[in-house]
Amino acid sequence: MPHSRIELRFGGTGGQGLILSGKMLADALASEGKHVAQSQTYEPTSRGGFCNADLVVANGEVDYPLPIAFDYLVLLDKLAVKPSWPRIKPDALVIADTRLCPELPDGSTPRHHLPLSRTALELGNERVTNIVALGALIALSGICKRQSIERVVRTGSPRAFLDLNLDALAAGYALATPVAAAAS
Amino acid sequence: MNVHDKSLSKSTAKLLSGNSACAQGAVAAGCKFFAGYPITPSSEIAEKLVTSLPQAGGVFIQMEDEISAMAAVIGASMGGVKAMTATSGPGFSLKQENIGYAAGAEIPCVIVNVMRGGPSTGMPTRPSQADIMQTRFGSHGDYPMIVLAPSSVREIYEETIRAFDLAEICRTPVIVLYDQVIAQSSETVALAPPSGVRAERKWASGPRADYKPYAAGIDGIPAMPRPGDGYRTHTTGLTHGENGFPTQNPEAVERAMSRLYSKLDLHRELIESWEAIRCEDADVVIVAIGISARAAKRAVEICRAKGVHVGLFRPITLWPFPEAALQQACKGARAVLVPELNIGQLRLEVERLLGRHRVEGLHQYSGEPITPAQIAARATTLASEA
Repeated sequence: MPHSRIELRFGGTGGQGLILSGKMLADALASEGKHVAQSQTYEPTSRGGFCNADLVVANGEVDYPLPIAFDYLVLLDKLAVKPSWPRIKPDALVIADTRLCPELPDGSTPRHHLPLSRTALELGNERVTNIVALGALIALSGICKRQSIERVVRTGSPRAFLDLNLDALAAGYALATPVAAAAS
Repeated sequence: MNVHDKSLSKSTAKLLSGNSACAQGAVAAGCKFFAGYPITPSSEIAEKLVTSLPQAGGVFIQMEDEISAMAAVIGASMGGVKAMTATSGPGFSLKQENIGYAAGAEIPCVIVNVMRGGPSTGMPTRPSQADIMQTRFGSHGDYPMIVLAPSSVREIYEETIRAFDLAEICRTPVIVLYDQVIAQSSETVALAPPSGVRAERKWASGPRADYKPYAAGIDGIPAMPRPGDGYRTHTTGLTHGENGFPTQNPEAVERAMSRLYSKLDLHRELIESWEAIRCEDADVVIVAIGISARAAKRAVEICRAKGVHVGLFRPITLWPFPEAALQQACKGARAVLVPELNIGQLRLEVERLLGRHRVEGLHQYSGEPITPAQIAARATTLASEA
């Protein structure tokens, strides 16, 4: 590999805002000078069906823009497990929603079941599950600086969702911080 | 041929999708008219241009369908402005009659075709490379066609600009062809403002009385009449002589058709573009475009790391195919591998050009892109057998 390469996926169903999360994280990484390729697959329907947003992050130019094996996998629906699980690295970090993706295949892959969607519901809108997940992923992986993602969420959110998104991001961090502390 | 920056400065690095880069390239090239009809996975081009084109002094029209969009583009170009449409699979099929008209009447314009799974409605959100032959031979009759096949976000920007330049210089429709993966993926790029002066149309000049709209000089390209300049002209889809009027006179037809069909040969050096990576000592040369070429680039690295001598030839100009460059790149190769997202199209052209070589295809049409590992494995096997 010409450059250190990190690959990650937000996997779930269409309409969950996975591509938005992917684009926000990609923007945050780009603002830190990282090279990023962000891709997605989705179904022709606007809601439902397997959907994913993938990121390839490197210090140099990304030669092949699609992921080969994931370092990080965020699962927001059980539908995403089957197509994503065979492509994770043995030491990958998996974050799965407690309610929407309760069961994961056996194995030694590090995984964290977090109440992402429940946290979003408690904040008042399940639609920000994607932002809670984004906060949790960054807190657990340290893939980018908190200020970088906050800047992107601040500038990239529609006005009606700005405060909610910032709260969701903070809630994601809060969910993951004790997990990260326990792991270190 | 590799123009890619190796480093990104924090201030200029921007995350951009292929379709956004196409829209930006159109504006940078001086496009002043877009007519289209939304279709996945090309819609983002129109979505971007609906705001950016009017800001650049241009006009955006969403037409009632793809056929009329192509017709509107032809009309706008005849009206004197650089014009473009963008579509995908089924829409590209609908445009074919008017694309043939633009080729025959020699109307400069740019058509973007983002390939998705086919035939028919096929798979709207899945990648394909099955329109390779359609871009060349989609309309009826003999006609020349320029097709550019970028394989990255940056290259979509650059090739869209080049498409407008070539359309004007060669007075012909130019197709920009790429797949759903490249279209809808985003990459961090720092796009450079286009270098040099953009090509402008060769307008008719000189005495109006002697003007013949389809009389060409040694460059094979007739000057177009600028509306309002007072040149009497006639434009038709019927086979026409130098005066622009229909003819079935065998000599006039043969002369007109010969010039039309061969005019690109006179500008081949300008039109042809390709990238050859590590072909000099390659036992196996991979020939690929678009996302398959990106996978192949990685496959070359995988093979080289294991001591297997593999190279990549990537036609950036797909049609007219860079024939001599391919033959040169494959001179020392014992086998050639063509990975593509179809049942076998690019392979046919490679076979035609490399008669004595062993040419094998790696064809995938499941809607999933071919991976670097698949290509590396096949290239390794070929190298061991060759």
